[in-house]
Amino acid sequence: MIIRVGRVVATVVAIVSGLFVLTDLFVAQWSGELFGIAGLRHTIEVVGLLLVSWAAIIVAFALLLGLVNVISVHANRIRTKQSGAVYSGVLLISLLLTLLIGMDGPMSTNTQFLFNYILYPLESTFSALLALFIATAAFRAFRIRDMESSFFVLFAIIVLLGQLPIGIYLWDELPVIKDWIMTVPTMAGVRGILLGVALGTIATGIRILIGTDRPYAD
Amino acid sequence: MSSQMYLIIAVIFLIEFILFIYYFTQRVYNGHIPKLRQIKGFEQIKGVTGQSIETGRPLHLSLGVGGLGNETTADTLAGISVLDYLAEKAAITGVSPTVSMTDPMAMLYAQNVLRTAHANDYDLAEAAYRHIRWIAPQPTAYAAGVMNLLAIDDAQANVMVGNFGDEYLLMGEVAARRKVTHVGGTSNPNTLPFIYVSADETLLGEEIYAAGAYLRERPSHIGSLVAQDSMRWIIVLVIFAGILFSSL
Repeated sequence: MIIRVGRVVATVVAIVSGLFVLTDLFVAQWSGELFGIAGLRHTIEVVGLLLVSWAAIIVAFALLLGLVNVISVHANRIRTKQSGAVYSGVLLISLLLTLLIGMDGPMSTNTQFLFNYILYPLESTFSALLALFIATAAFRAFRIRDMESSFFVLFAIIVLLGQLPIGIYLWDELPVIKDWIMTVPTMAGVRGILLGVALGTIATGIRILIGTDRPYAD
Repeated sequence: MSSQMYLIIAVIFLIEFILFIYYFTQRVYNGHIPKLRQIKGFEQIKGVTGQSIETGRPLHLSLGVGGLGNETTADTLAGISVLDYLAEKAAITGVSPTVSMTDPMAMLYAQNVLRTAHANDYDLAEAAYRHIRWIAPQPTAYAAGVMNLLAIDDAQANVMVGNFGDEYLLMGEVAARRKVTHVGGTSNPNTLPFIYVSADETLLGEEIYAAGAYLRERPSHIGSLVAQDSMRWIIVLVIFAGILFSSL
């Protein structure tokens, strides 16, 4: 049997690091000494914090690699004259300009101008498109295809009318029914989903923690 | 009940869960493979992979706006499980998926998955690398990038599995309008209605974590699915016991 040393070392490091951070999480909630050993609590907290700070440094380096990825993908698009190469050019010029302006620091007047008068308004404008998209998505979703979609449409109409001021004039029980739908069946469904999600998240963590999933050692 | 008691219960719960996962994984290794219910979303993913190969058009996979190292890690890993399957197929057929994300750590991970899958073919691995796209760290900017990507790259199918917020609809609607086969899944209950109205098939909540079991049939993933179900039954019984205890 061939044992790959690198894989074993990576697995041991990952399991030990994971256990430390997990233990730190529990220790932070625990009041008093751990197993009566003075300083054990402090040691776990310090090591846990150190590991998390290392992770933050790695994320910062990964961001640089992300930047390299953006530049290489779009430069390649321009070089091979693919469709939309013009947009790639605009993106690269904007990226370089932002980098140059950002040299002054994040709080400088120029950088603040860039964020306050270009980036944030652009993001807000784009987010505002959601209203339009919700309308078109609703139009498509409100077509009755089967039993499931008929229930979807029925509940959507009740909630919509119950939410609108006109609903109370149509039938004064509509807001009451809407509230019941939101607090009883919807909440039950959401809690069921959240319970499953919590179990799925824990299971994913455990698989990595006990080394049955070793994405770092492939 | 004191906070220390809650902590002890949490530790017991965790240890029990670990034992369950270990036990059921060993059972799967020993040939006791449970029959999994059909999830249409995963069937669709298998189907669109074949279509992508036939047409030669790329398949777009979004890992979402979550990252690695925070509360969205499990969601991102679920997306990467789908990538794992697609990368395995890509290594055989040569049609690599286009993968996009907001987190640069997820980008490195995705590159590693493709590198591992193409370990025997350097040229194919290099070509596959160019299909990994880190678009932007902000969700809205990411959505804009994906909308553009779906339009320009003329994607055959769009698979979006990971953590998403409201920006999902911006991307999902573009896929729906372009009549691209679209499978979406997230654990965020607030985003699920957006997926339901825009995707052909929806992976609801915890279903996204089953990607490894359904697509790759990994014993540890199948074992953990059974363990999750067992833990769910225990929680349901505890809730019922609590109701009875407080009512009597």
